[in-house]
Amino acid sequence: MPRILTVDDSRAIRMIVSKQLQPLGFEISEAEDGNDGLSKLQGAHFDLVVLDVTMPNLDGPSMLAKMREGGNKTPVLMLTSESKTAIVTMLMRLGITDYVLKPFQGEELKAKVLKALKLPADYTPASAAANPSATPAASAASAAAAPSGGERVLVVDDMENVHKKVRSLMPAQVTLDATLNATEAMTLCRTNKYGLILIDAELPNTNLISVTKQLRLLQTKTVLVAMALRTANNVTGEMREQGFDDVLFKPFTNEAVEALVDRCFLENQDLLSVQENFLRVAGFHGREDKMERYFQRLLAKLKEIVAKLAEACFDSAVLDATALPLAQPMRAAQFMADVARVAADAGVTVRVVGSSEMAAVVGRFEEAKSLCLFQTVEEARAAA
Amino acid sequence: MKFAEQLEQIVKARIEKDSLTLPALPAVAFKSLELTRATDFNMNDVASLIEKDPVLAAQVLKLCNSAAMATREPCKSISQAVTRLGSKNLRSVLLEISARRIFESRDAKVAATVKALWEHSRAVAQLAQRVAVVSGASDPDTAYLAGLLHDLGKPVVATMLLEAESQIAQRNPKLWIDFPTWIDVVQRCHRPIGLDLARKWQLPEEIQKAIEECADYDPANRLSTGNAVRFANAVAKQQGIYAGSVNADDNDALVMVGRSLLGIDDETLTRLSSDLKEKSKEAA
Repeated sequence: MPRILTVDDSRAIRMIVSKQLQPLGFEISEAEDGNDGLSKLQGAHFDLVVLDVTMPNLDGPSMLAKMREGGNKTPVLMLTSESKTAIVTMLMRLGITDYVLKPFQGEELKAKVLKALKLPADYTPASAAANPSATPAASAASAAAAPSGGERVLVVDDMENVHKKVRSLMPAQVTLDATLNATEAMTLCRTNKYGLILIDAELPNTNLISVTKQLRLLQTKTVLVAMALRTANNVTGEMREQGFDDVLFKPFTNEAVEALVDRCFLENQDLLSVQENFLRVAGFHGREDKMERYFQRLLAKLKEIVAKLAEACFDSAVLDATALPLAQPMRAAQFMADVARVAADAGVTVRVVGSSEMAAVVGRFEEAKSLCLFQTVEEARAAA
Repeated sequence: MKFAEQLEQIVKARIEKDSLTLPALPAVAFKSLELTRATDFNMNDVASLIEKDPVLAAQVLKLCNSAAMATREPCKSISQAVTRLGSKNLRSVLLEISARRIFESRDAKVAATVKALWEHSRAVAQLAQRVAVVSGASDPDTAYLAGLLHDLGKPVVATMLLEAESQIAQRNPKLWIDFPTWIDVVQRCHRPIGLDLARKWQLPEEIQKAIEECADYDPANRLSTGNAVRFANAVAKQQGIYAGSVNADDNDALVMVGRSLLGIDDETLTRLSSDLKEKSKEAA
């Protein structure tokens, strides 16, 4: 468990740091000035020091200088209200790892602490237990494979009736935000992740190219769709030139909205995330009549991954299938039988993680019974 | 006293005496900007005025149809461009064109440098605008303009130095300064001139502030235009998009502080700045 020393003369700040970092499973010690900090460092090993600049008795820069003079190379993250270039330059010369300006957001502190400790950005105590060998690179690959915007849609149109119409056509599980102008849309996009953004092609007083560019900066993985009238021959081409991925023609039809939702939330979804030989199935959130397509895509992806594992000489893998939908038990059972067949064909032993309900489903197919089923990832890993 | 110091003294003395002839906005651009300041200005009047300066008119059309501004149909007339741009964008376009003229020189010695300074300004403008979008810092278009104009005084000082050098060299041909020294003098003297120019051109207060303060961030106003420009300036320098010397340690510190101040994480910064060099060349 990483050990962190927070050195700050403000008790409140020390408490906030502890409160932010303890849930990550780190052991936090506190010191109220530089002298106290140095004395704590002499008595124990720490993986990181979170250090203030201005403190009584011995300030942060002096403590840091003494640490380095004494050969202590513990990474130091400055947490300070000091932003003067000359002082930060001097701290950098003394070898600080990173810097957080007060007042700060907990998320920024956590991200910089994890980076300083060379832990993955999505690190949790549970993930550490499940995958002790997780590296930052592996985590980055996993993050890249994760679905980006969830099932959240933003509608930007100056007519409220358009908001209502889109809402009426969207599946119930989709969270829909609506706004009348681009400025408000930008604000929403700074705090939320959207899988789909629908924008009126005739939004008043708006340069659509500028808006699509700005939205792309804020929402890197979203699908941008223009809501337009069929006024010209090549509306789709024109909208693509302005930075849109597609066009939804007004007035909307059920079929067009449904196809768009499928494309954004089903076809684009990464159904299987991979970290070396650990595979995790993403859940299904579409309408039930789309489930068959989900299973087909999932199986195709699984075949591809298992073949790659065999090619890389992995003879076993763990498949976390806890998110697999069981609403159609026979179809789920058929899928598990397919998993067993794919694994056997490739010569890879697949240990499946799933609930007791999943175990019951697997039991329905003779072919699927050959799969080794476990309740937790840890159990599956331990059986390797 | 070294020759470079003499030149610096001359420039500083002129600044102190307020005896500088600062470049004026092109007459048509100045009058057009004046017109657009009125709340109820007539777009046709502005268009007619711009049409009187064919070079300016062509540049307005070019910028209006550039990737950053263009809409579905390309603009074919100034009247169309003025209507489509709207007063705010039109003001930006006029200022951008006017500033671009200052960053042009027929003198071979400074031409390449002022071109590099313009590329740097374009890079800072692009990044400041993106930073404003992502962080919510000020208005992205204001950040763009402030980035573009933050070094406005440099080409003016460069030209002034060139004149002073040539006058002194006439008396003593052995005197000359090498490029690093010359650009250092420009770096040390440009800010008050840039600020004077910004006032003369009646640039918005926010842009004047961005030109005025650059050594440190303003932590009390984290999401200000000035902070976005300061950060973008440091990142552009870090990427080598600059003409002149850079204190790498100070610059790295500015980037480190700016990331926290503006809430820009590493991944976002990479995304925002990966094509900066390419964009600055493209734009120049």
